[in-house]
Amino acid sequence: MPITPDHAGKAYAPTEPYEVTRVKLAEFAAAVGEPALVEEAHPAAPPTFAAVVTNAAWGSLFTDPELGLSLERVVHADQQFRYTRELRAGDLVTATLRIDKVRVRGATEIVSVTVDVADVLGAPVLSAASTFVHTREEAA
Amino acid sequence: MTTETTETAGTVGTGTVLPPLTAHLTRESLVRYAGASGDFNPIHYSDHAATSLGLPGVVAHGMLTMAVAARAVTAWAGPDARLVSYGARFTRPVPVPDDGVGAELLVSGTVTAADEETTTVTLEVTCGGEKVLGAARVVLARDPA
Repeated sequence: MPITPDHAGKAYAPTEPYEVTRVKLAEFAAAVGEPALVEEAHPAAPPTFAAVVTNAAWGSLFTDPELGLSLERVVHADQQFRYTRELRAGDLVTATLRIDKVRVRGATEIVSVTVDVADVLGAPVLSAASTFVHTREEAA
Repeated sequence: MTTETTETAGTVGTGTVLPPLTAHLTRESLVRYAGASGDFNPIHYSDHAATSLGLPGVVAHGMLTMAVAARAVTAWAGPDARLVSYGARFTRPVPVPDDGVGAELLVSGTVTAADEETTTVTLEVTCGGEKVLGAARVVLARDPA
């Protein structure tokens, strides 16, 4: 059963709480060429570190058997982060994904989603809106 | 809002050009980013997976390009800068061949809007002379608190 426009509005359970650590921040900063972390107790994350947190939520999309999407046939088309505050080392956050819109053009499925990242008390941290383009294998 | 303005808020206006940066991406960059981000889509390490989607070969993660582009802003605005939003469209893939050379990204930024509350930087990112991001904009809060 493939994904359809009727899947707009489908929401997933929040991810398991994710702890932002100095070690992970340092690994991410090195991978994208940001300078080393500042020497403070709770350094701020680079702007796109949020992708680490949203990645687990995106996974719920690509592993949902009801949608029939496969990660290796997905291209990321756009990304928009809106920050209530920056992520910092020591944060414990969850990511909750919902499907906003689905467009189907032949074998191509254009899926717009939003992931809301919040602390474990529910206070918002950021939201990440993405569009993914999935191409069904039979079309290749 | 306080009436106090930061040095940045007082001096930066529309048209201000940020220091440009260049970044070199190799397959190692993509492997590192895959591990650091958790994005293991094989189109970012397997030519087979990439070409079966119609891509010329392994391409960089759009999010890696976005992360590299953000460095132009974070380096300019400093560690206390507070982001309101950051968005981009991935208009053209960035092929990263396994040829000992890889790909080079050129990032430039210009302040395209500034008011009492926010400063908007529009980024241009090219690879091989072609734009790879569309509508790439960082909105910074003027009050760093």
